Amino acid sequence: MPDSLIVLDKVNKWFGGLHALRDINLSVKAGEVVVVAGPSGSGKSTMCRTINRLETIDNGTIFVNGEPLPAEGRELAKLRSEVAMVFQQFNLFSHLNILDNVALGPMKVRRQPKAEAHQQARDLLVRVGIGDQAEKYPAQLSGGQQQRAAIARALAMRPKAILFDEPTSALDPEMVNEVLEVMTQLARDGMTMLVVTHEMGFARRVAHRVVFMDTGQIVEEAPPEAFFTNPQTERARDFLGKILK
Amino acid sequence: MTGADSHLFDAPGPRAVRRTIIGSGVAAVFAVALIVYVLMELSAKGQLSAAKWSPFLKYDLIKFLLHGLAYTAGAAVVSLGLALVLGIALGVGRLTRTAIIRMPCVAIVELGRGLPVLLSMLFLFLAFPLAFHIDLPAFWTVVLALVLYNGAVIAEIVRAGVLTLPKGQREAAFAIGLTGTQTMRLVLLPQALRIMLPSLISQLVVLIKDSALGFIVGYQELTAQAQSAALLFNNPLQTYVVVGVVYILVNSVLSEASTYLGERQKRTLSQKVVTAGDAVTIESR
Amino acid sequence: MNELIGALPILLHAFVTTLELTFLAALTSLVVGIIAAAMRVSPVPPLRWAVSVYVRFVRNTPLTIVFFITVFGLPQVGINFSFFAFALLALTLYTGTFVAETLRAGIQAIPIGQIEAARATGLTFIQVLRYVVLPQALRSVVPPLASVFIALFKNTSIASAFGVAEAIGTMTNMVNVHSTIVLWVMGATAIIYIAFALLFGRAFAWLERKALIVR
Repeated sequence: MPDSLIVLDKVNKWFGGLHALRDINLSVKAGEVVVVAGPSGSGKSTMCRTINRLETIDNGTIFVNGEPLPAEGRELAKLRSEVAMVFQQFNLFSHLNILDNVALGPMKVRRQPKAEAHQQARDLLVRVGIGDQAEKYPAQLSGGQQQRAAIARALAMRPKAILFDEPTSALDPEMVNEVLEVMTQLARDGMTMLVVTHEMGFARRVAHRVVFMDTGQIVEEAPPEAFFTNPQTERARDFLGKILK
Repeated sequence: MTGADSHLFDAPGPRAVRRTIIGSGVAAVFAVALIVYVLMELSAKGQLSAAKWSPFLKYDLIKFLLHGLAYTAGAAVVSLGLALVLGIALGVGRLTRTAIIRMPCVAIVELGRGLPVLLSMLFLFLAFPLAFHIDLPAFWTVVLALVLYNGAVIAEIVRAGVLTLPKGQREAAFAIGLTGTQTMRLVLLPQALRIMLPSLISQLVVLIKDSALGFIVGYQELTAQAQSAALLFNNPLQTYVVVGVVYILVNSVLSEASTYLGERQKRTLSQKVVTAGDAVTIESR
Repeated sequence: MNELIGALPILLHAFVTTLELTFLAALTSLVVGIIAAAMRVSPVPPLRWAVSVYVRFVRNTPLTIVFFITVFGLPQVGINFSFFAFALLALTLYTGTFVAETLRAGIQAIPIGQIEAARATGLTFIQVLRYVVLPQALRSVVPPLASVFIALFKNTSIASAFGVAEAIGTMTNMVNVHSTIVLWVMGATAIIYIAFALLFGRAFAWLERKALIVR
């Protein structure tokens, strides 16, 4: 698959005796939006985190842009700026205001001049709809605003792809939509996205493909319509029965 | 204790592992070179000679130093007991609403925390006899100075312990008709003291270390005995190294015990919270 | 009474030495403590072990013994300093362990997620420490560090037993010479000590409030 941006080839990982990822094969094309679904503990977050090496793998290979995932050094830093990450808990730096949160990576990793990094950060904050919050500190923002700031922080690295690790799971229900709207817009703009989420409405509307995981394996992989209307496996039917009531 | 806080950095790649091994090797060579240099210097000055070290194998000197260790332990343990009593009194006193009780407690706590232990000791040693025409025994000179400081510290621990208890405890005690004093004595203090146990053990380490100042006022604890022995055998460096190792051994054991108790307590406390949480969910179902 | 009036300026002058020793040792032990804490959490195991041994040994030794070993040991390997420099060294070695452990506790209190976010952006270990971890850890450790430095201020008194004419050393000399004013001189010394301890307490409380507002 030469046009694939991210490829996982027979990836395995153990946490002690727990086989967290079993022979994972997955590829994500440039511009594709892939939603990863599955019960908690199915390994979907772990898989997401291996792609920018927050978790190491025990065997198999991960390719980004056709190159095997670098283990360290400048190559790893470069990879991480190309594959950004958005976390469940937002994880904004609490001692920096929103603008500095967004500008830190470009200044320190990409060595952009301060003025340029700040201007870019302001533009991105406007793009995610919180342009007026730039001078505030994370604790002064609502969860939805914090997560949108975190998305701006990811975009600031000008990534080729963004990994979303349950981006709406820690949000109050009324804030879920504002974050999903930003993500939908990103998808429309052609961003490559791997999204671990329980938001099946988002998956249905935005995803090109749904990957269903259980007990560390990819059990089923299908376009959203097919997955939701006609799941092929018992486990997927069971999962959908619980989550879509 | 030596475990990594691994979330701070990435799992090392092959290059990082290689660099670590090479760097450690180079550092080890330097460290060994430094140790060899120090040993050679010491040996050139005769500091490694049998004459300087062999006294520690003699029964008399061992007994002499053990006597010091016993005195150190005696002063530390008695001080801990008295400091606990003083600390509880001052800590509870600081929490009362009556200003006439609270203000003196605040003053004594600030006095105890602000004075160097050495100054309190010298005060008891030099000024006390002049003022009251009694010579205080060396033991009490050391113990009283330690009690003043550590009592003040324990008072703050007690106060913090009581203040961190859930508000519901006090309210529940009032609700069943206990008076303010009863609430403190029967409900709040026992809980605060249990939380304090690890801090009290680490306070014992502080006491053992501070009791080493006893040598200045002529109390025959471990450091004073070491000083005498060093004069006798003309081997100060060797004696203080040996005595230092003894202190490290004793205090390490106590520090470990304190950490262990603290962690066990944290576990049981969080378990209790979980069980309580479960009970609530079960009820609400 | 005249003797006391004559003694006061000398005593105050000795407190200048006490403060010098305190500030210099605070500075050096802060440097030692920051470096030790960084080593203690670093990816390189031998660095962690080295600091672990340093902290465990020195923390559990009475400061008096640290003084004795410094004063009697270093001249034997050809290092001869003034009493003041030896005192500074002993106080730094001892206080550095407390600064290191305090900082480590502050570092461990920072949410793991923020550190992962920093790593996921491509920051190196040193950058993660420099831009994300230490700025936050230094703020949260102001109160415990205050206790460490106030303890240091009082610990400088031990230098009196090793030939440094700081407040306590000067006081003891005076008391030995003018036995009529023992109570007065000791009382004055005590009051000055407590005044400074309270002053430092206030200063650190102010610093803590300032750190909080920034957040």
